Amino acid sequence: MRHERALAPDAHDARTPAPGDLRLEGVEVRAPDGRTILSVEHLEVPAGATLGIQGPSGAGKSTLLHAISGLVPVAAGRVTWGATDLAPLPEAARDAFRRRTLGLIFQDFLLLEELSPLDNAAVAAAWAPRAERAAIRERAAGLLSRFGAPSARSVSGLSGGERQRVAAARALACDPAAILADEPTASLDRANADRLVADLLSAARERGRTVIAVSHDPALMAAMDRVIQVVDGRVRQ
Amino acid sequence: MPEALETLWRALPNLAQDLAVTLALLAPALLLALVALRGQAPWPLARALLIRFRWTNLLFVALMALSVGLGAALLSQERALRQAAARAADPFDVIVAAPGDEIRVLLSTVYLQPAAALPLLGPEALRAIQADPRVSLAAPVAFGDSFEGAPVVGATAAFLDRLAGPPAEGRPWAATSEALAGARAPVTLGQTLAPAHGHGDAAEPDAHSGAGLTVVGRLPATGGPWDRAILVPIETLWELHGLAPGHAPQEAGRLGPPFDPAYFPGAPAFVLSGERLADAYAIRARHDGEGRMAFFPGATLARLHAVLGDVREAMSLMAGLTQALAAAGVLAGLVALARLFARRFALLRAMGAPGRFVLGVVWLYAACLLGAGCLAGLALGWASAGLVSAAVSARIDMAVSAALGWPEVQLAAAAFSAASVLALAPALAAYRRAPVEDLRAG
Repeated sequence: MRHERALAPDAHDARTPAPGDLRLEGVEVRAPDGRTILSVEHLEVPAGATLGIQGPSGAGKSTLLHAISGLVPVAAGRVTWGATDLAPLPEAARDAFRRRTLGLIFQDFLLLEELSPLDNAAVAAAWAPRAERAAIRERAAGLLSRFGAPSARSVSGLSGGERQRVAAARALACDPAAILADEPTASLDRANADRLVADLLSAARERGRTVIAVSHDPALMAAMDRVIQVVDGRVRQ
Repeated sequence: MPEALETLWRALPNLAQDLAVTLALLAPALLLALVALRGQAPWPLARALLIRFRWTNLLFVALMALSVGLGAALLSQERALRQAAARAADPFDVIVAAPGDEIRVLLSTVYLQPAAALPLLGPEALRAIQADPRVSLAAPVAFGDSFEGAPVVGATAAFLDRLAGPPAEGRPWAATSEALAGARAPVTLGQTLAPAHGHGDAAEPDAHSGAGLTVVGRLPATGGPWDRAILVPIETLWELHGLAPGHAPQEAGRLGPPFDPAYFPGAPAFVLSGERLADAYAIRARHDGEGRMAFFPGATLARLHAVLGDVREAMSLMAGLTQALAAAGVLAGLVALARLFARRFALLRAMGAPGRFVLGVVWLYAACLLGAGCLAGLALGWASAGLVSAAVSARIDMAVSAALGWPEVQLAAAAFSAASVLALAPALAAYRRAPVEDLRAG
């Protein structure tokens, strides 16, 4: 019963870890040709903390984020969120875990151009159980209002800053335990970047949510509790 | 099918049977919809795809509509043609002619198609028919002349009454110099005409130039080929061709039966009727033989349709192949379009959307296009059936009125169901893509 063991609380830890607690142990991610492209001996991020990930392009920052989110399977080691080790889980179970626990933000927003800001922010309602859909939409509407995202028929006419605010509302609409952001400010001007960082971190801290952001943006890194470097596929703390 | 089920099926009204067949044809699509969409709300995403690629989508819908419309128009037209042909043959219970080709006699007598002269039935045949107590109507008919392309047909007033009823304009003929016009015959009331001998290019326009036939009435429309004919007493044709008048000298001037066998010059065919259905069978049996051939035009037509059934199947096969090709083209296009949306789908997967959700979005998008195509195809089939019917009616002298029926609805339902199953291909292609690769592709 591999699945059940993976979901069971860590036997070595007396306390029940919070869902936003992240621990990586001996993690390796390999390319299809068998080459190791990421190696993490140990990394811990307590629930509610903020972590910045820096490093040169191609160093493996995004791969680390993908491993943390379960988007790529790890070849060795453990990626544990709270009591759940993602490493042995099949893809569908990792999808389900992300659905319940993580919110994601990307550099180029990845909004659905034909939908309204609210429909974009509440897009997770489309696959959520019927009973949860109204709550997701309500939360998304509140976040859009809080972030100052405009109401419009579609997002196609919005500026970059407005789009990223919609994307941030989308990441938080399911009230995830952790938010993972991949270069969230890279496509924004300074003013919009600062506003996004302030809004995102305040919303996360209010709810005690973990934030992990990959970025080259010094201002964003300065706002994080802790920053690590990824160089040549290895984490330097 | 077990006997009880078969009995139950036969007991159902036609509408219920048609509905049941249609639902059964739609069942695969409905089942797929249930599996792919249950517990999810993919419509906003499918709508996004429909809006995003709207012009290409319109092209796909048009392609599917054309293929379904073509099939629907072919099916409805073929059915309408069969019905029109059967309707035209309806007043002809039994036809008696000289032994030979039933289909040739059928084409000449019922559909007034020009053919090589049929051999004539003589006085012996007339005597046998007159001696048959079951015959309530015996009408010799003769053809071979024409006027301005319209056939000039010799018959009896009683038969015309059975065929079309009393004249809608004017009056019945009262002399051999008078004629009646079919509802669409190219002559006017009061017009005097001299028929040509023969039809078309082979017609001899001056052969009966001395004849002056006056049109005294016009028959109501029957929807059959006789509507275009100019109808004269059969005695008129005998007279024009210098034959015996059909009646003894003391009966000179008489029109219609009883004919005198001693003065009967012959007729290429007789149309016979009895009072009851059993009489018709007895009449056919009695007059089929001894130098005569008797047949039911309806039965001959059914045999002809059976032969043409192969053509119909070939047409159906071609329509099916066209639909399959159109669906394959649409689905191949959808695979390409879904790839353009791959980063968005990758985002959804990254957010934790189940693979089944992405599959449901693409399938619903494809099903919307295919469904719209099938519905538009039915509309196109309905519109084109009317236009084609008008063109066909003008060409074949029969009122062909094609209308969409359950077979066309079922054709569209089958096309939709089959294409919906095939639409799993682009849906599975989107479902199987690794989200990380597409996320990095940006």
